[in-house]
Amino acid sequence: MARFLRDHNLKGVLICAEGIDGSGKSTQIDLLYSWLKEMKQDVILTQWNSSDLISETTKKAKKKNLLSPRTFSLLHAVDFADRLEKTIIPAMKAGFIVLADRYVYTAFARDVARMVDHKWVRNMYSFAIKPDMVFYFDVTSKISLDRICQNRQPKFYEAGMDLKLSNNPYKSYVIFQNRVNEEYKKMVDEYGLIRIDATDNIHQKQMLMREQVMKILKQRGFIKNA
Amino acid sequence: MPENKYKKHGYDGLLIVVEGTDGSGKSTQVNLLKKYVENEGYGCMLSEWKTSRLISDVINEAKDRNLLNATTFSLLYAADYADRLENTIIPALKAGFVVILDRYIYTAYVRDSVRGHDIDWVKKLYDFAPTPDLVFYLKMPVHKLLKRMIGTGGLDYFESGRDIGISTDIYNSFEIYQNRCLAEYSKLEEEYNFITLDGTLSRTTIHNQIKEKVGEILASGIIK
Repeated sequence: MARFLRDHNLKGVLICAEGIDGSGKSTQIDLLYSWLKEMKQDVILTQWNSSDLISETTKKAKKKNLLSPRTFSLLHAVDFADRLEKTIIPAMKAGFIVLADRYVYTAFARDVARMVDHKWVRNMYSFAIKPDMVFYFDVTSKISLDRICQNRQPKFYEAGMDLKLSNNPYKSYVIFQNRVNEEYKKMVDEYGLIRIDATDNIHQKQMLMREQVMKILKQRGFIKNA
Repeated sequence: MPENKYKKHGYDGLLIVVEGTDGSGKSTQVNLLKKYVENEGYGCMLSEWKTSRLISDVINEAKDRNLLNATTFSLLYAADYADRLENTIIPALKAGFVVILDRYIYTAYVRDSVRGHDIDWVKKLYDFAPTPDLVFYLKMPVHKLLKRMIGTGGLDYFESGRDIGISTDIYNSFEIYQNRCLAEYSKLEEEYNFITLDGTLSRTTIHNQIKEKVGEILASGIIK
């Protein structure tokens, strides 16, 4: 059976945050990180598209709008594979709590929204390890657009401009991110993602997450039952 | 010659692949073939493995710095191939060119499975690749390959499979790695209708064998 479909059996715990841009997941994962640090837990944070090997190439290619959906998908998989082998798995073996700001579900959602075959993407990522817990931050694409527009315009690929859905980047963003959200919603059942309502305030969301995380840390013996 | 044997890819052009291990004489043969096709009056394009403008530099640099594991190795090559496919191979096929490929997805099947990946995973990864019309496979025994490689520039780290840690002795490592590659190629020969050619024959003899087969197809008027 593919590694992604079975439990990992490593000492660490892998917790992921998913959702479209502007869903508040980075804020939440940062808060979770500080809280765990405060409790003297060994914790690391890893972000999507941040490997030394390829992230610069991918960013450059994105700026030039050079990527087809297929190469876009493959380059992100390279990045993920590099971080998985060099960062995530070693930390999991050493018994760390690994927080991932986006994981393979990001690829499943975005690439399929780009019309890449959903089985093809899932097969490609079948070397990934299965997370212990995944939070999905559910926010509408309109709210997401409002939030990111507070400091910038939507970028070419995040607006799905490569798909020629609309010449207007704002309209395109809403249509494309809606598709991405549809894919996430399908995965709530498929992979048991924990849905977090993004209309809750920051504190409410964080308390909900801590409660869930605490459960698993106790289960796995990271924290002794009081 | 049954028509339906060819153009499974559905484009106007022709897709011809030359496969074989390192040092089997592929580059020589693809260049000779290109000249022949052009002399016959057909548009022809040659594309080599790992040459996309986007990704090939990343692969070369990562190899130099020994940064790749089996999965990133595999995915980077797939990205390189996808980029070339979309930007050069498919446009040329649509325009009715004879596209000659020095290595194709079979190279990935072989190298990735030797590096420990499940062959089904690799096959699915490349399932978007158009089916070639002809696949020539230049088969060379390892002892001949070794002589040829040593005589032309020495043994390369990856060609010797040193990255998979078979042996610290590069000669040994090369021998074992290339033998494993040959074994993987053998598994593919029948499944993908390889036309296997004896790589130890002279370059002219091999070229004539390839020419005969390609000439036959071109003469059938398959390229409109």
